[in-house]
Amino acid sequence: MCRRFFIGMTMLAFALRGTALAQHVEVESLLLENGMEFLLVERPDQPNSITAGWVAKVGSANERPGITGISHFFEHMMFKGTRTIGTRDAERDRRLIERQKAVKDRLNELVFSVQYQRWRRGMIDDPWDPAHDTEEMKSLRAKLGQLMDEHRKVIVKDEFDEVYTKLGGSRMNAFTTHDLTFYFISVPSNKFELWAWMESDRLRDSVFREFYAERDVVHEERRLRTESTPTGEFREQFNAMFWQSSPYSWPVVGWPSDLNSYTRPQAERYFETYYRPNNIVGIVIGDFQAAAVKPVIRRYFGRLSRPEHDPPPVVTLEVQQKAQMRMLAECDCQGQVEVRYHTVPFNHADSFALEVAAQILNQRTGRLYKSMVEGREIASSASAGQDSRKYAGSFSFRAQIKGEATPQELEEAWYEEIQRLQTEPVADRELEKVKNRIAANAYRRLQSNFSLMVQLGMYEALGSASGTGWEYINDSPARLQAVTADRIMDVARKYFDSTNSAVAIYTRKATAKPPDPELAAMDEASSAMVRQTLSWMSQIQDPSQLNMIIAGLQGRLDTTEPGRAQAAHYLIKKLRERIAELQAASGN
Amino acid sequence: MRRRHWTFCITISTLIGAAAGGAAAGPDIPPHPDEIVFPPLAFEPPKAADFRHTLSSGVPVYLAPSHEFPLINVVFSFKGADDLDGPQETGLAASTGAMIRRGGTTSILAEDLDEELDFLAAIASTSSRGTRSVATLNCLASNFDRSFTLFLQMLRSPGFQADRLAIYKQQVIEQLKQRNDHAASILSREWRSLLYGDNHFEAAQPTASSIESITEDGLRSMHRRIFHPGNLIVAVTGDFDPPRMLKRLEKGLAGWEAAAAVPDPPAPRATFVPGVYHVEKDIPQGRVSIGLRSIRRDHPDYFALIMANRILGGGGFTSRIVRRVRSDEGLAYSARSTFRPRVHYPGEFQASFQSKNRTVALAAKIIFQEIRRIRSEHVGTEELATAAGALIETFPRRFESKAGMLRLFVDDELTGRDPAFWQTYRNHVRAVTSDDIMRVAKKYLVPEEMAFLVVGRWDEIAAGDLEGRAQMSEFFGGSVTHLPLRDPLTLEPIE
Repeated sequence: MCRRFFIGMTMLAFALRGTALAQHVEVESLLLENGMEFLLVERPDQPNSITAGWVAKVGSANERPGITGISHFFEHMMFKGTRTIGTRDAERDRRLIERQKAVKDRLNELVFSVQYQRWRRGMIDDPWDPAHDTEEMKSLRAKLGQLMDEHRKVIVKDEFDEVYTKLGGSRMNAFTTHDLTFYFISVPSNKFELWAWMESDRLRDSVFREFYAERDVVHEERRLRTESTPTGEFREQFNAMFWQSSPYSWPVVGWPSDLNSYTRPQAERYFETYYRPNNIVGIVIGDFQAAAVKPVIRRYFGRLSRPEHDPPPVVTLEVQQKAQMRMLAECDCQGQVEVRYHTVPFNHADSFALEVAAQILNQRTGRLYKSMVEGREIASSASAGQDSRKYAGSFSFRAQIKGEATPQELEEAWYEEIQRLQTEPVADRELEKVKNRIAANAYRRLQSNFSLMVQLGMYEALGSASGTGWEYINDSPARLQAVTADRIMDVARKYFDSTNSAVAIYTRKATAKPPDPELAAMDEASSAMVRQTLSWMSQIQDPSQLNMIIAGLQGRLDTTEPGRAQAAHYLIKKLRERIAELQAASGN
Repeated sequence: MRRRHWTFCITISTLIGAAAGGAAAGPDIPPHPDEIVFPPLAFEPPKAADFRHTLSSGVPVYLAPSHEFPLINVVFSFKGADDLDGPQETGLAASTGAMIRRGGTTSILAEDLDEELDFLAAIASTSSRGTRSVATLNCLASNFDRSFTLFLQMLRSPGFQADRLAIYKQQVIEQLKQRNDHAASILSREWRSLLYGDNHFEAAQPTASSIESITEDGLRSMHRRIFHPGNLIVAVTGDFDPPRMLKRLEKGLAGWEAAAAVPDPPAPRATFVPGVYHVEKDIPQGRVSIGLRSIRRDHPDYFALIMANRILGGGGFTSRIVRRVRSDEGLAYSARSTFRPRVHYPGEFQASFQSKNRTVALAAKIIFQEIRRIRSEHVGTEELATAAGALIETFPRRFESKAGMLRLFVDDELTGRDPAFWQTYRNHVRAVTSDDIMRVAKKYLVPEEMAFLVVGRWDEIAAGDLEGRAQMSEFFGGSVTHLPLRDPLTLEPIE
C-alpha cells in the first residue's frame, strides 16, 4: 500500500523532495521453508482483481555458447502444460516425447557431423536448411513429423490457456531478459486459488510438449523482432561487439544455430537448475487480504522441493575496454547514431548519478532537445539513458538526424554535451527541476498493479547480485534525491571517455529514385504506355533510330487525343535526353 | 534426463502421500483446477450517472476521486480530429493537437511554459488522432492550481509559436521519410487504403507538401472548431475533493465560448475490392492482413460477432487460428483475428500474421480453412463456454481503475452509446448461441469477399512451402494486384 503524504511546506522544491522521501510501498514478505519468497501488496483501491506473477532469477546471461536463447525458449515451453494439464493420457504422452527425442537427437548428430562439414567445405549454404537434408535425414524428419502428428492426438491443445481463460484469467504472458524471466496474469479477486494451483503445478511438473514446433515459433519471433525490422540485426551485432567477455553479448532470443539445436536434456537440466523455489519470487498485488492468501500460498507452493545446491554463479566479468569500437551500418532506416559507454550495474553507487545525468539530458526541456533538436536543428530526436543490468551496465546516447545533417554531426554534438557535463556543475534550478520530476514519477510508476509488480520482481531479481531487493523501490528515490552537481560531474568524467565507448553510425541505404512528378501526374494507361516505351527504348543504341521514332511521334501529334498528347510530349523529351546521352558517350 | 525429472516428481508425490492420476495433489489440493470451489464474486457495474456532473455552461464532468497517491489526473476529451481535415489539408488536425502543447500560449513563450510545467513536475499533453482530440494533465495535488491554470491557458489560448511550428513540421517530415522502412507501416497504410479508400480520413496520409503548407491560421481555425466547451467532456481522477474540483472547473472554464457542433465522421465512399494484393519488400518474413468491412458498433449482431471472432482468432491461445497456425504448425509467432467495429460506418474484421515468405501461403490457407469451418460447422459447447466465460469473468476488470472507468463513460457519451449497455452486457454475452455464431459467420465472414494483402519477397511467397502444401496461385484464381511502393514524401508510386 502506498501511503498518502500531506505537504505542508511552501517551498515547492522542498515540498517535492519531502514527498519523494515519504513515498513508501507497503510490502508484506513471506518466506516459505523451501526458500521461495512472496511479496504481497494489498490494493483495495483497484477492486475485483488480482495481478500476480513470479520471477525466475535466470536469463540469457546464465547461458553459454551452444544454448544461447534457451531461457527464452524455455519461457515458451512453460505454457505447454503438466502431467495433469494438457494431455489425455500422461503415459502415452511421455512415451511419444521419448520417441521424438530419440529421432531428433539422431537428426542433430547428423547435422553436427555431416551437414556442418558439408557447410565448411562450401557444399551447402546452411547446415540447418531442410532443403539440404541427406536421405537419412529426410526419413528422420518424416518420422519426426509422424510422431508429432501422433502426439497431437494425445495433447489437449493449450489447455493451460483454456483453464485460465474461461475462469477470467487475462493478460497472461511472460517475458525474458538478460537477467530474469517473468510470468504473470490477472485473475478475478475470488480466483486466487486458481493462480496458486496453476503456477505451482507448472513449477513442479512441467512437460515440454511441442518442443519442435515451438522452436519454429521462436524462429518466427526472431524474424519478426530482429530480421524483419529496419535496424534489428544491426543492433544485435552492435551489442555483440560492445559486450566482449560478458554473457550480455548474445541476444536474449539466441543465435539461430543454437535455436535449432536445443535438446530436451539441455532444457530439463536448465529447469532443474534454475526453476527451483529458492531462485523464484512470487508477487501478488490487488484486491485481497494477505491473511487469507498466505495459507493458500503455503499449501500450494510449499509442495516444491528445495534443491541441495543454489544455482551456479555467473562468473565472467566484462573486461575493461582498451580502444574505441565503431560500427558503420547501412539500412532502410533514418540516419542515426548511438554512442555507448560501459558503466555500472544495478544498485552501484554511481548508478544514481548516471540516472540523474540522463534526466538532465532528456525530455523537451533537457539539454539534448534544446541543443540538437531546437538550437542547431540537426536532430529530429535525441535521448540518453543508463541501462543498469544485474552484472554490468551501460550508458547510451541515441539520436536521429534531421534534413541534411549526418550522424557524425550528431556524434560531435554529443561530445560537446559531455564536455559540458564534465566541466560545468549543473545549475541548481536545472537539478531541482529534474529531481521534482523524479519525485513525481516515483508515484506515477506505482499507479498500475502491473507496473508495480514488474518493478518489485525486477528489483528482487537484479538486486540479488548487489545486496538489495524489492526494498529498492522505497530506497532509491532518496538516493536519487541525494545526487549532487559534483557527483554528476564525477561520473561524467569517469565513464564518458572515448576509450570506453562504442559508436554505431547508421546511414540510409540508397533506394529507388522517387518517380518523375510529370509521369506521376499522367493517367494510368498513359504512364503504363510511357514506361513500356522507355524500357524498350533503353535497348536502342543507335541515335538515328531514336530520331526516327521522334519523327513518327511528332507526325501523329495532331491526330493524338489530348489525354495522350501529354504522354507523347513526355516521350519525345525523354528520347531527346537519351540521344544526347548516347552522343556524349560516343564523343568521349 | 527426462527420466530423472520423472523420478523427481514421483518422490514428491510419495512425500505428500497422494498420487492421483499423473500428478500429485495434496490432501487439500483438488486434482484438477476445474474442481476448485471459488467464493462468489458479486459485481454490478457502476453507473455513469453516479459520477456525472454538469457545469453551468453545460459541460459534462465525470469525477472519481481516489486518495492513494498525491496526484491529480485531468482528461479533456473533444469530438473530432483527422475526420475534420479537408481534402487538401491531411494532417492539419493532428498538427493542431500536437502544436497546442508545443507552441506556448498567446501570453507565455513556449520555452517558458515548458520550463514551468516541467519544474512543477506536471505532465501535460494534447493530441488529435482518429476521431478524438484529447488534452491531459497529470500533476501533484500540491500544485494543481498553478498547473491547471497553465494547462487551461495553453488549451484556450495556444501560441502556435512560429519557430516551434517550423521544428514540428520538420520532425513530421523526418518521420514521413521512414514510412517504408518497416514492413508493418507499409502493411497498415495499404490495408487502410484498401479498406476505406485513400480519400477517407482513416486512410488519408499527410505528404511532405501537405505538412509544409500548414499555417498558423490553419491551426487556429482547426483549434476553434475542435477545442471549445460545446464539444468537451471532462474527467478527473485522483487526490481531490469533488465539490472543490467542480468550483475550480467552473472558474477555469468561465468565459470560454462554445462554437458550432462538430459533425459525425464521414462514411467511406470507395468500394471495397476483394482479391490478393502484394507490396514488394526485401525481408525474410511476409506480413499479412486478410479481411473485409464489417458492421457498426451498435449493430444487433455485435455480440455474436465478438464471440465468433474470439473463437476464430481473437481469444489468444484458446482460439482456432492461433492453435493451428502457431501451436500446431509453428508457422508464426503472432497469428490472430480482430473485429473492430466503428461507431458511424462499417468497421472491419481482420486476420493477421507474419510468417517466413515461403510459408505465407500455407498459413493463409489454414486461416481460410478456419473461416470456412466456422461458417459451416457449429462451434463446440466448450468453445462457446470458454469465449463467454472469458468475456463475463473479465468484465469487472473494465472498471478496475478509476481512470479506465471514466474513459469508458466519456467514450460512451461522446459516441452516444446506450447508457444501459454495460448493465446488460453480460446477459447479451450469455445469450449468444452456436446458431447465432454460424449465422453471423456466414453473413459477415465471407472468404470470397475478403482482401488478402501481403508485404514481402514475392518470388518466395508465390512459390509456397517446400512440401508443396500451399501456393499463392490457390487464392482468388491466382490473380494478384502488385501495388507499387509509394514515395514516402509524396505517396506517389515508385517505379
